[in-house]
Amino acid sequence: MRKFKAAAITATMVGALTLAACSSNGSSGDASEEPDTSGGTGANELTFMFRGGDYDKLAYQAAIDAFEEETGASVKMIITDADQYATKLQAAIAGNKVPDVFYIEPGKMMGYVYADVLADLTDYVEQDVIDNIWSFGTDAYRFNTETGERGNSADALYGLPKDVGPFGFGFNKALFDELGVEYPSLDEPMTFDEFVAKAKELTTDRDGDGEMDTFGTGLNVTWNSQAFVWGAGADWISEDQKTVTVDTPEFAEALQWFADLGLVEGVTPTATQAQSLDTYQRWMQGDLGFFPVAPWDIATYNAKHEENPDGFDYEVIPYPVANEGDDWSTWLGSLGIAVSENSQNKELAAQLATYLSTDLEAQKILAENKVQIPNLIDYATGEWIETDAPAAGWPANTEIFLQIAEEKGRPLPGVWTYTPEWYDNFWIGIENVVDNGSQTAADFVAGKQTEMQMLLDQSWISADQAKAQG
Amino acid sequence: MEMATTTDTDQVNSTWTKADQKAARKRSAALHRKEHAWAAAFMAPPVIGWVAFLLFPMAFSIYASLTNWNGIGNMTFIGFDNYTRLVQDPYFWKALWNTIFYMIGIPIGLAISLALALALSRKIRGRTFFRTVYYIPVISSLAAIAILWQWAYNGDFGLVNQVLALVGIDGPNWLQDPNWAKPALIIMAVWKGLGYSTLLYLAAVQAVPRSLYEAASLDGASGWKKFTKITWPMVQPVTFFLVVTNIIAGSMIFTEINIMTPTGGPSWSTASLVWYVWNQAFRNLQMGYATAMALVLGILVLIVTAIQFRINRANDFSID
Repeated sequence: MRKFKAAAITATMVGALTLAACSSNGSSGDASEEPDTSGGTGANELTFMFRGGDYDKLAYQAAIDAFEEETGASVKMIITDADQYATKLQAAIAGNKVPDVFYIEPGKMMGYVYADVLADLTDYVEQDVIDNIWSFGTDAYRFNTETGERGNSADALYGLPKDVGPFGFGFNKALFDELGVEYPSLDEPMTFDEFVAKAKELTTDRDGDGEMDTFGTGLNVTWNSQAFVWGAGADWISEDQKTVTVDTPEFAEALQWFADLGLVEGVTPTATQAQSLDTYQRWMQGDLGFFPVAPWDIATYNAKHEENPDGFDYEVIPYPVANEGDDWSTWLGSLGIAVSENSQNKELAAQLATYLSTDLEAQKILAENKVQIPNLIDYATGEWIETDAPAAGWPANTEIFLQIAEEKGRPLPGVWTYTPEWYDNFWIGIENVVDNGSQTAADFVAGKQTEMQMLLDQSWISADQAKAQG
Repeated sequence: MEMATTTDTDQVNSTWTKADQKAARKRSAALHRKEHAWAAAFMAPPVIGWVAFLLFPMAFSIYASLTNWNGIGNMTFIGFDNYTRLVQDPYFWKALWNTIFYMIGIPIGLAISLALALALSRKIRGRTFFRTVYYIPVISSLAAIAILWQWAYNGDFGLVNQVLALVGIDGPNWLQDPNWAKPALIIMAVWKGLGYSTLLYLAAVQAVPRSLYEAASLDGASGWKKFTKITWPMVQPVTFFLVVTNIIAGSMIFTEINIMTPTGGPSWSTASLVWYVWNQAFRNLQMGYATAMALVLGILVLIVTAIQFRINRANDFSID
């Protein structure tokens, strides 16, 4: 009996703590405080679950007010912390409390569609509305359930974009002026060689203590190498999303070139230097020549410029390419607005999703506050780029963001496959190539190919299984 | 006197008829039933809670681990495929090894805690101040602490390397070096847990009867002998409690890893099993597989804890 009691206590303790580990992410929360995410049950009731900052809330409140007035609907808004949104949505789905309208990441769309969580919006959204949204913004939420293909304009539409997020590139005009370096072209991409040459000119020892104080650039490999790899004509995955392509010579060369910016050319802070003062802070201090510039950075960068106009003044440019005449590109993110397949007011919910994605007033609020570029092509390329954007303080060359949204942008590798595990695997051990140089890029990618391909194959098998079991 | 009492009782009993006895039994049974009902009512909430929040989820987890489930769609029973996959998954073993490696911090932490408890049990100046200082990390946010230590571990300007430089040691780039990232996390975990262990040890040390030390002194025992023969055995229940709870808590290490090394550290050197489980479940939509890994972790911890209970029973002693 005593033994049994001891075993029971042990089992209970271990079980309770193990469950606690799985349920908690370091934050506390009272279940009774959790809002009910269930879709509306009344004829005109809708629930909208999303994440975001004050400006998102302000913009969507304006859109929802207009929507409620026009349709007579009643919309309940549920806003959650950004870092908890994905797990909360998954819990709501598992608990059969799916909101009528909610944000969705394009990378998770396939699983949700196969599980019959997302409504097909194709018949609910008019073609002229779709035609006025960046094609990437809608294609990111198109999916062929038979073939598993993504991004084809002819396939069913399972979401509308909350935004499209161009990951642009920029330079610090103030540092260029200080060091007498000629600005790069605002329209044409630099070649890799031209970029390195300028970066070298920008890497200087300001105070003569033997330590470099300014650097050409400082780019995190996980978020910045894509544009350079693509600019060299290489990619992580084949167009049909079935084959990993990291073992090509052009990929290895591009990755090695990226690593050599720090290891050979010395135009970036070392990993240790970057750890003490990360490259973002160095950029904000005005000590880096080139750095990424995205719409969500604009408000912060503008504030920094106002605070330190002589040390920090930025402009947006195209990403460099390997050779003159090559096409440049960068990654384009997006967050979607989807409708629950089980919504009792599906048509109304689709109407709300359309409002949230395309309501002009909401788009104006979001763009004016530098949260995102507008989703609406006619507004973005007309009134906004001509008058509203300059008036709101967007950089002079904001046109680059529109180019990315229109044609230069690509999804991050891994977003259009069922799971991104194969792509995440690429970054394991990457520090041996870019930080300490203990491994060449060629050896690294050769070693990665098999494992990544195996994980990609597994991703497709999982997709097929999800499709079969629903 | 005793005889008289017995006789009285017999007389009383003899005056009871069978009907009286039956009625009394009935009353007693009714009373017991009522008591049982109340007892059941008092016991019900924790039992219901245990069934609803532990037994059912555990049973569900066991079933989920035998399915192909992405956490949102339907489950498909696949037998032990997830367990077969787990055995062949090098990242599972790597994460398990990392998790076990983190346990090195437990004996280190306990040794330091006991030493601190012994020091703080003496009448030294600032005793209360030190007790408070050591306990502050326990009540501090783990996320905030993780961020602070991330700075402290900076290779160039971090506090840790600056202190090491004072004694002529060129510290490593802690969180960027695959060989030092785990020890870095262990040091932080030991520091964070010191206050709690010290507090428990302090209570245990102060509860040791002074007479034992006095008797040992009279017998000429050295300080070390007193420690090994009196203090250490007397604080053993606390040591046992701390080892058990630390192993369980250590097996769940997640937050500090997710903050300080969000991609699993250089060459995946810091990825713990719970971190890997979380990634598989919520990022890679492999809830069935993640559940299988979580269960294996739970069973391993259960086995280790059961062994500890057994060893502790074998070493159990009492003072008359």
